[in-house]
Amino acid sequence: MAVWVQITPGSSEPIYSQVAGQISEAIAKGHLKTGDRLPAVRKLAAELVINPNTVARAYTILEQAGLVSTKTGSGTFVSDPKMITRDAADVNALAERMDNVIVRGLNLGIEAKDLAEMFKSRIAGFGKQEKDKEQKR
Amino acid sequence: MSEIVLETEGLTKYYGRTLAVDHLDLKVPKGCICGFLGRNAAGKTTAIKMMLGFLEPTVGSGAIFGCSSQNLTPAVRQRIGYVTEGHKLFGWMSIGRIGKFQRAFFPGQWDDKFFADMIEYFGLSKKQKVKSLSIGQRAQVSLALALAPNPELLIMDDPTQGLDAAIRRQFLEGMIQLIMRQGRTVLFSSHILGDVERVADRIAVIDKGVLRASCSLEQFQKAVKKVRASFIGEMPADIDIEGLLHCRRSEKELELVLVGTDEEKIQRWANISKPQKYEIVSMNLEDQFIEYTAPVNHKDLFEWE
Repeated sequence: MAVWVQITPGSSEPIYSQVAGQISEAIAKGHLKTGDRLPAVRKLAAELVINPNTVARAYTILEQAGLVSTKTGSGTFVSDPKMITRDAADVNALAERMDNVIVRGLNLGIEAKDLAEMFKSRIAGFGKQEKDKEQKR
Repeated sequence: MSEIVLETEGLTKYYGRTLAVDHLDLKVPKGCICGFLGRNAAGKTTAIKMMLGFLEPTVGSGAIFGCSSQNLTPAVRQRIGYVTEGHKLFGWMSIGRIGKFQRAFFPGQWDDKFFADMIEYFGLSKKQKVKSLSIGQRAQVSLALALAPNPELLIMDDPTQGLDAAIRRQFLEGMIQLIMRQGRTVLFSSHILGDVERVADRIAVIDKGVLRASCSLEQFQKAVKKVRASFIGEMPADIDIEGLLHCRRSEKELELVLVGTDEEKIQRWANISKPQKYEIVSMNLEDQFIEYTAPVNHKDLFEWE
């Protein structure tokens, strides 16, 4: 698997968080699928020229979020999203973040139904990339 | 904390009446890349020279691999790689000659092939005289000399000063490659915070000779925060918030630099002080370093696991 992670030093987002964020996004977009193996920590560290502990930290964050799981000796794999347990607190937190976006949209004068359309098309965008990828396979 | 490879206790240096390094208590654990940060003349080079026994401390001591800095034995020195500030090498030697010269200090562990490969990779020839090299090329030779003995501890004093981005990247790659080998440790000073952020997992901050922080990079990044609060009416005269490092006032705005203050405490302060609005300003490592070493009201951030 090619490395798609792009590091931006000098950002206010720490590098471990950049790595974790970009892998989460790749999983959400379907670039990485259930069972796919993440690059070995040392390999990714060498390619990105960052500290291996920083990569390991990013993998730990992903693991704590339930997005990946590590099998000793064989590597870190993308988990099946169906198996991820989410509790009410997670869903509430998500709803609150959506509220922020909705408030901003309404403040910009975008009507509620247009906002709903925007949400739909953004989500469709995520799914579409996944389908394109499947067709290629 | 894992095994400590480098340790100083009360390490102090006066140059005449000028205090260069002030009771430095530094510990560098095995297996990390530690960025040694400080503004110009903060005491980094003096501290490094004392750690390596090249300069006698006025008071205090240092030890590497448990061996006193003042009496480092050849056997211990052999385990340490050192890159001097400015890459000072003998100008009259050829690259091949300087390689053989260096090899003599590292019997049984010097890797001839590695050295030759690196020199070739850099597009240099063993026949070239050091004095004919550019600063960048001399830095490359110096990097090859430091890595060829495969040192357990690599100490580099501002190795990328004045180098272009490509050669700087080679130094970063060199550090990453070395740290991948089991049990290797790197301590390097630098002013390029973007480089430090990439490769370091630990930092030590020295300011006017005093060690102000020694912790993981992550901990530092999480700890140093800036809050901007604006007021309509009167601003509070006293700022009562834990971890306050600096407070700057303008007409209607307060800017607080905080260390180790969590968002809950910031919220609680806001509830009492009632700013019209406030925000936590995101900072990158460079902003954090500049704020942290800005004078006034020192607050220290220490953590010995």
